[in-house]
Amino acid sequence: MNRGIVLLLLFSVLILLSGCWSKKELTDIAIISAFGIDKNDKGQYVGTIQVINPGNVTGGQQDGGSSIGPPINVYTETGNNLTEVSRKFSTGISRRLYYAHTNLVVVGERLAREDGILRLFDAMDRDPEFRITSEVIIAQDMEAKDIVRTITPIDKIPSNKVIKTLKSTEKNWGTHLRANMKDVLNNLVSDGKEPLITGFRIKGEIDQAMKMANIEETTPKAVLEAEGIALFRNGKLVDWLQGSTARGSLWILDKIEKTDVNINWQEHEEAIAYEVIRQKTKVLPKIYNEEPLITIDVSAEGDIGEVEIPVDLTDPLVLVKIEKEVEKEIKKEIQEAIKQAQKNKSDVFGFGEVVQRADPKLWKKLKSDWNSVYFPELVVDVKVDAFVRRTGIRTKSFLTEIEENRK
Amino acid sequence: MPGFFKNKHKKSNTTNENQTQPPSEQDFPDSIDVRLSNNLDVIKNKTGNSFDVIIRNVSIGLQPKIQTAIVYIDGLVDSQSIKDFLIESIIKSPDLQEKLIQQDPLEVIEDEALPFGSIRNAHDWVQLFSALMDGETIILVDGKTKVLVVDTRGGDRRSIEEPTSQVTVRGPRDGFTESIITNTSLVRRRIKSPNLWVEARKLGKVTNTDVAIMYINGIANEKIVEEVRRRIDQIDVDSVLESGYIEQFIEDQTFTSFPTLYHTERPDTVSGNLLEGRIAIFVDGTPFVLIAPAVFIQFFQAVEDYYARFDIATALRFLRILIFSISIIAPAAYIAATTFHQEMIPTQLLIAVAAQREAVPFPAFVEALIMEVTFEILREAGIRMPRAVGSAISIVGALVIGQAAVQAGIVSPAMTIVVAMTAIASFATPSFAMAISARLVRFVFMIAAATFGFYGIILGIIMLTIHLSGLRSFGVPYMTPMAPFILKENADTFFRLPWWALKRRPQLISEGNMIRVGKDQKPEPPIGRGMLKFTEEKGDQDE
Repeated sequence: MNRGIVLLLLFSVLILLSGCWSKKELTDIAIISAFGIDKNDKGQYVGTIQVINPGNVTGGQQDGGSSIGPPINVYTETGNNLTEVSRKFSTGISRRLYYAHTNLVVVGERLAREDGILRLFDAMDRDPEFRITSEVIIAQDMEAKDIVRTITPIDKIPSNKVIKTLKSTEKNWGTHLRANMKDVLNNLVSDGKEPLITGFRIKGEIDQAMKMANIEETTPKAVLEAEGIALFRNGKLVDWLQGSTARGSLWILDKIEKTDVNINWQEHEEAIAYEVIRQKTKVLPKIYNEEPLITIDVSAEGDIGEVEIPVDLTDPLVLVKIEKEVEKEIKKEIQEAIKQAQKNKSDVFGFGEVVQRADPKLWKKLKSDWNSVYFPELVVDVKVDAFVRRTGIRTKSFLTEIEENRK
Repeated sequence: MPGFFKNKHKKSNTTNENQTQPPSEQDFPDSIDVRLSNNLDVIKNKTGNSFDVIIRNVSIGLQPKIQTAIVYIDGLVDSQSIKDFLIESIIKSPDLQEKLIQQDPLEVIEDEALPFGSIRNAHDWVQLFSALMDGETIILVDGKTKVLVVDTRGGDRRSIEEPTSQVTVRGPRDGFTESIITNTSLVRRRIKSPNLWVEARKLGKVTNTDVAIMYINGIANEKIVEEVRRRIDQIDVDSVLESGYIEQFIEDQTFTSFPTLYHTERPDTVSGNLLEGRIAIFVDGTPFVLIAPAVFIQFFQAVEDYYARFDIATALRFLRILIFSISIIAPAAYIAATTFHQEMIPTQLLIAVAAQREAVPFPAFVEALIMEVTFEILREAGIRMPRAVGSAISIVGALVIGQAAVQAGIVSPAMTIVVAMTAIASFATPSFAMAISARLVRFVFMIAAATFGFYGIILGIIMLTIHLSGLRSFGVPYMTPMAPFILKENADTFFRLPWWALKRRPQLISEGNMIRVGKDQKPEPPIGRGMLKFTEEKGDQDE
C-alpha cells in the first residue's frame, strides 16, 4: 500500500511538473492565412502577414448581425532575413504567430525578378509549423503586400479565395496552374526543369483593395485575379506566359482537364467552340545521333459547345473537318508556348528530365549546356489528335433550320 | 527498486476477533425444552416481543387436551393458507383429535393433518429461528423437544414486470423480481433441463440472505464453478442486501473501474449466458443477477443482438464500440486538438471554433471540465430526484447548459456539442456498468489530453489497453477472445455471425459439451423450381 502511494505521487509529479507542455490556447494564437514577401529599396525583405480575425469571419453569432470589422488584419515588417521579419512581428501583434494554416505564399514580382526565389524558401521549408503544401503565387507587376491585404467578397478569407480561384481556373479554363511550395522546390532542385508559378494581380483600384468598402458594393472596386504564368530561369523570373500561350504550356504538362478551344469556320472567326472534356498528353523522347528529339502527343476528347453559324453536325465529314481545325488550333498554342520558353532559355516543361530518363549518359554530356545551348535549339514535334465525342444535346442547330426554311 | 519501496509492514494476523458474529448467538438455550410455556418464553425473549411475531395457542385432542402453539411472522407467511388449512385442520378435524392422544401428536399432524408441500422437523433453536425468519410456520407441542416446520412462505411481493434497466424492442418482457424463487423459476422455465443445477447458500450472519449459484452441468466449466463456490463460501459479512455486496467480495480485482462481473435483470440474458457455460448468482431481495465470468466484449452485446438478424446485430455492435470510444475520448480529443494540435483542424473549422472561443475566459481544459461536471451533476440529479420534479431538471439543464452558458460566453457552442455528444454516447452503451466506468475514465483522458495533447491520449489508450489485458474474471482473461486472440470466437464479438454459424461455445468459459449448433444448418431455398410449379398448378386449378 505504501509503495502504491509513492508510485502514485511520482506519477502525479510527472503530470503536474510537466504542466501543459507546449500548450497554446486558441485565444493566444494569431492564425496566419497568407504570407507575402517583397523587397525594399535597401535590399531588405519586407514581410506581410494576413492574420485571420475569426470573430469577423463567421459573422459573430454571439453579437448577432453582420460582421463589423474586416475578416483579416495585415501587418508588415522589414528585416534582413525571413526569420528576423517573423520575429519582429511580435512587436505589433499580441499573439503568437501560428503558421500551420498559412496556405498561400505571395512573392512580389520585383523580388522574383531581381533576387530570385531560391533563397526565400529555406525558412519556410525548415520551420516545423509551416506547410510545404502552401500554394505559391507571384504578384504580377505589384507588391506582394498589395495582394495580401486585399479584402475579397464571398470567400471572406482572401487566401482561400486565391487558392479556390486557382483550383477552379486550372480545372475549367487551363491558363493557370497550381504550384505549391513542394512542387516549386522540386523543380528548382531538378536539373532539367524550371518552375512555373501563376501570377495574380489586382484588377481595379489598388488603393480601394484594402478597405471594407471594397466588398460593400455589388461590383468590387478591386478584384484579385489570376493573370499569366511566371517563367523562371535559374530561380529568377524572366517572362510571363499569357493567355493561349499559357494554356499551351499546360497542354504540354498534361494539366488540362477541361477547357474551350475556338476554331474558325469558313470565313467566320472563332465560330465554333470545342469543349475539351478529357485529354492525355505524352512527352516522348527520341535520340538521333546524340541529338535529342521530343515528340508531344496530345489526344483530346470533347464536345461541341457552341456553333454560331449554321453547320451540319450530322455529317461525319464535317465533324472530321472540325477535329482537324481543333488539332491545328491546339498545336498552335503548344508551339507558341515552346517558342516562348525556348526564347527565354527556360526548360519549364521538363524536357531535360525526359531526355535524362531516355538516355542518362547523353544527359550527362548535355546537362551543363542544356538551358543555354540545347534546349533553345531543341526540335519538338507536336502531334494532336482531337475527337468530337458528342455534339451536345442538339445535332442540328436552330440556325440550320432557319437557313433551311429560307431555302 | 529502492529500499523504501519494500513493504516493511507486518500484516496483522487475522484472529477470530475480526470475524463477524451474529449478535448473541451464544445466548440460545441448549435445546428445545419439554415444556411449551418455557419454549414460548424463549421465542418471546429472543424476538423482543416484536408485534409481528404471532404466537397462537391452540389446545387440541380430546381429554386430556394437548397444549400446542403455532408461531409465525406476520407478513412473511401466506396468512390465507395458515387460516384455511393449518389452524382449521388442526382444530376442527374430529378424527384427528382421537388419534392425537393415542399416537405421537407431531407425527399425526405431520402425516395426516396438514395439506402442505413441505413439512419437516426441527430439533434446535438455530433451525427454528432460521425457519421462522424465512416465513415458515412453527408448530410446537407441549412435551416434545422437536418442532414441526411448515412451509407457508408467501406474503406480498412485487409481480413480474418489464425490466427497466435493460430494455429491448424485440424480446421477452419479463424481468426478475426481488424474490429469489421467482427469479430461479423464470430461468427454469426457459431451460427445461435437469442439468440446470442450483446450489443454495445463506450469506450474511445477520441477514441470512438466500444466495443461489446456478449453472448447467456439463456445459459450465467445473473449475470455474468450483472457484465461484470457493469465493462465495469465503464471504464473511454480516449482511447481503444486494448482489453488489457479493460482487465486491468475489471480483478478481478491486482497483479497476471496469466491471468484471456482469449483472442483469433479464432472465433471457441469464439463460443465454448459462448456455454459454457461465454461472449465475442469484441473491434474494434484488432483481439483479450476477453472471461470472464476464469478459470485456460482453458489455457491448445486448441480448437483442441474438434476436435481430446478424447483419443488423453486427452493425449495431460496431456502433457500440464507436459509441464507447466517443464517450471516452471525445472531450479529450477536443481539448488536445484546440490547445495543442491546431494544425490538425481544417482551416475553416479552426476559424469557426476560434471565433466561438474568442470570448470564452477559460482554457479549453477548464471549459471542458466545467461542462462535463455540470452534466454529471444534472445526470445525477435526474436519477436521484423525485419523479414529480423531473421536468424541472430538464428545463434547468437545457437552459443552463444549452442556452445561458453559451450566450453568456462562459462556454463555447462547440464544447456544448462535444459534451452533448459524449452524454448521448454514454447513454447508448448497453451496459450501465460499462458506461459508468467510461465516465470515470473520460476524466483521466481529459487530464492526459490537457497535459500532453494527443500524445497523452495515445499514452492513455496504451495504458488502458494494458490494464484491460491484465484483468481477469474468475481466471478468464478479460479481453478474450481478442487477447488472447481466438479466431473462431470472434464470430461473436465485434461481429455476430448468423446463428447457424455460431457452432461452438466459448472455449475459455465452457467445458465439455462444446457444440451448440448442428452441422449443415445454413438455410437454403429448395433446389429446382418445385415450389414454384406447385403454386402455379394450384393457381391453374383455382381458375
